[in-house]
Amino acid sequence: MNVEKKWSEMTWEEKRREKFNKWLTVPDIKFVSPEAEKLYMERVTRFARAFLLEKPDRVPCILPVSNFAAYYGSSDLRTVMYDYDELKRTWRKFLHEFGDSDMFFGPGMVPSGKMLEAVDYKLYKWPGHGISGDTTSYQCVEGEYMKANEYDALIKDPSNFWLRTYLPRVFGAFEALRNIPPFTTIEEIAIMSFVAYGRPDVRAALEALLEAGKESVKWMMAVMEVSQEATRMGFPAIMGGLSKAPFDTLGDTLRGTQGVMMDMFQRPEKLHQAMEKIASLTIDSTLASIGDSGVPLIMMPLHKGADGFMSTKQYETFYWPTFKKVIMAFVNEGIMPVLFAEGSYNTRLDIISELPRGSVTWWFDQTDMAKAKKILGDKACLVGNVPTSLLMTGTPQEVKEHCRNLIEICAPGGGYILSGGANIDKGDPDNLRAMMEAVKEYGVY
Amino acid sequence: MDTAEKKWSEMTWEEKREERFKKWLNPPVNFSGEDAAKLYKERVNRFIKAIKLEEPDDRVPVILPAGNIPAYLAGGNLKTAMYDYDELRRAWIKFLIEFGPDMDTFIGPGLVLPGRVLETIDFKLEKWPGHGLADDIETYQFVEKEYIKAEEYDALIKDPSDFWLRKFLPRAAGAFKAFEKLPQLTAFIGIPVFYVGAFADPEVQAALKALVDAGIETMKWTEAVNDVNRQSLEAGLPSFWGGMSGAPFDMIGDMLRGTNAIMMDMFQRPDKLNEAMERLVPIAIDEAVAGANASGCPIIVMPLHKGTGGFMSNKQYETFYWPTFKKILLGLVNEGLVPMPFAEGNYEPRLEIIKNMPRSAVLWWFEHMDMSKAKKELGGVSCIAGNIPVTTLCTGTPEDVKEQCRRLIEDCAPGGGYILTGGATMDRGNPNNLRAVMDAAKEYGMYKK
Repeated sequence: MNVEKKWSEMTWEEKRREKFNKWLTVPDIKFVSPEAEKLYMERVTRFARAFLLEKPDRVPCILPVSNFAAYYGSSDLRTVMYDYDELKRTWRKFLHEFGDSDMFFGPGMVPSGKMLEAVDYKLYKWPGHGISGDTTSYQCVEGEYMKANEYDALIKDPSNFWLRTYLPRVFGAFEALRNIPPFTTIEEIAIMSFVAYGRPDVRAALEALLEAGKESVKWMMAVMEVSQEATRMGFPAIMGGLSKAPFDTLGDTLRGTQGVMMDMFQRPEKLHQAMEKIASLTIDSTLASIGDSGVPLIMMPLHKGADGFMSTKQYETFYWPTFKKVIMAFVNEGIMPVLFAEGSYNTRLDIISELPRGSVTWWFDQTDMAKAKKILGDKACLVGNVPTSLLMTGTPQEVKEHCRNLIEICAPGGGYILSGGANIDKGDPDNLRAMMEAVKEYGVY
Repeated sequence: MDTAEKKWSEMTWEEKREERFKKWLNPPVNFSGEDAAKLYKERVNRFIKAIKLEEPDDRVPVILPAGNIPAYLAGGNLKTAMYDYDELRRAWIKFLIEFGPDMDTFIGPGLVLPGRVLETIDFKLEKWPGHGLADDIETYQFVEKEYIKAEEYDALIKDPSDFWLRKFLPRAAGAFKAFEKLPQLTAFIGIPVFYVGAFADPEVQAALKALVDAGIETMKWTEAVNDVNRQSLEAGLPSFWGGMSGAPFDMIGDMLRGTNAIMMDMFQRPDKLNEAMERLVPIAIDEAVAGANASGCPIIVMPLHKGTGGFMSNKQYETFYWPTFKKILLGLVNEGLVPMPFAEGNYEPRLEIIKNMPRSAVLWWFEHMDMSKAKKELGGVSCIAGNIPVTTLCTGTPEDVKEQCRRLIEDCAPGGGYILTGGATMDRGNPNNLRAVMDAAKEYGMYKK
């Protein structure tokens, strides 16, 4: 109780110091060797300094890999989505063979195909399920999963809308949940409510949920096994949680791009109200999800606010206010949001520079890094942005040269992490090693 | 569909109510004979006229104040009716056969809760005969408690269903305790991998199994209840229980915070209390509309508790109780429904306040009330119902009851807008006291044409 009170009285900088200090404390795990422990601490320290706009020993590097390990291990995404032994084997092979790196991405972003099938998930296509078996990534299926006249339902009672309207649409296996009555009731016991749970179709939906739950736990065990091994070998994780901007949540998974773009004109008030509601729920669920990961960083992939998707005025009116609210809620809990701006963000740099100094990190995809360094350099740590095309088709020398150039522009003064503009799934591992060479050769402070 | 909906939204509340009355007058049922069909319409029309503050064609309509009495008249009791659905059906059918020809409406056995379901979910909010109460008790006992802490108002305000699922249900029913462990289900992230994993937890699985078991058991019970209700309709007896609603102050005071805590909240956190009550307004309206749509009967029963005289001052009533309660009343009216607040206790101090309603929109049922005063204050605004004392019904002679009814009819019936009934319902006693109520209506309640 005493500690909690103290927490609420701290400034965000004080809270963040606590969180980072915790991250920088030797974790309570058994490292494979004293050398691994030493390297782990060096690596975490390197990242922490860069994130906090300080100068580390050298520029740290986040390897831009997503499903790369599957292909490196002569397997493919489809196989590792269904076969958790293969998932473990390939990721461990990459972990053991790649060599020196500053961090390691576990296989947590490879969802279980069996789990997705068990719930009949409609929002994604994946290899062998809607797209060809040899595709290296999954494909988001945008749709108008929430209708324009359903804004009020979402605003009034979000979980009611979610469980009884939205889930039945995006999960084939939960279609029958549209038949359950609301949980809220004015009666101390609304006995008729139970009838729905005796229905065979609702029972089947709950069975599917339980099956998917069990499958998901098997998958999680496999993911954790690999991630823990990486930590024991001295490679830190740099993702404590995942979150999104409210506008993207509406645009990606509820209204679809077209729907949300029309809503800016046709029902701006509803859109604002819904984003406020989603912001508050996003803050709660994100903070709950990172509970005890110990990593004080939240990754936020950004979509619909990129250059070309909307005007600067629209960005300021619709995208930025609730996005900023979510960001600041994390900042105020001592957590650093890592904002991954897909596409380019050249026209947003002035707007986003209003955030408090050192409060966030920006990871850019196609943004002009010289411009970004100029405008944001003393405000936020920058991450990026070796082009995916170069990583996939260039030579190691070309990659290294590009990295040298980036380091020259972005590294001075600290607050820079070398990485890709996006992640690659396939390609020459020497192109990734070239990035590590570049930071060691050109990135030493 | 679209054009029909549009038309609905453009209607006045009176037009909507006429539509609902039409539906009430023409239930989807095969009447047992022409007589039954004719009687059904007569009975419903009697109520409709009273509600609209008109004189019915023949006489004052009656709601027999019969609670669980069918169980006892059939030689059983509440406990046997709660646990043996055949017995439940037999008892209520027996009552239907014996009193049916002489009633204006029939209250089915839907308020007799299935004991096995309550046990399956380990329900904490009620005690019932054989479960916390002696076997021969003829009613339930509500268990009031501070189920929700003061600082949990915010969760209710933010996301009511989430609050119910993860905070209230786990405390209201032991079998659902594990729902506390569920994560927030509105994960706006994309792939629901992580929270689906929460459903692998054995305790969560057991909770869902209890939910399904409760569902299967409730279906059996529902079969018996529906059977009785169908037979009653076929015999020409309309339902007068279309759906349920209540006042937000009671929802919070009864179920969530308890009397003691909500009384403190009026002083210590009035804004939170008001905000939470506002959130419950649309929820209560939606629930009542869904109930009425399913039942075909537009009467919404609203038992009222904490706003009664002596529980709070008129100023507190006007500040805390009335505003959101009024919103629900008007919301229901605007859906073409007839809210029937059942004011337990003494509502005399509130008459001045509650009369601020559109004419004929609300039907007030009073327990303790000087009905001549109510007629004077509300007579031109609302149909009133009541209020033969339960004491007379349970302990008096048929003559006492009849005499009491005569006086009530004399005070309240003139000009229409009155329904004769009890101040509460009786569970046990002399069946002739119920017959005396009908006799009185026929003898003293005729409208001269």
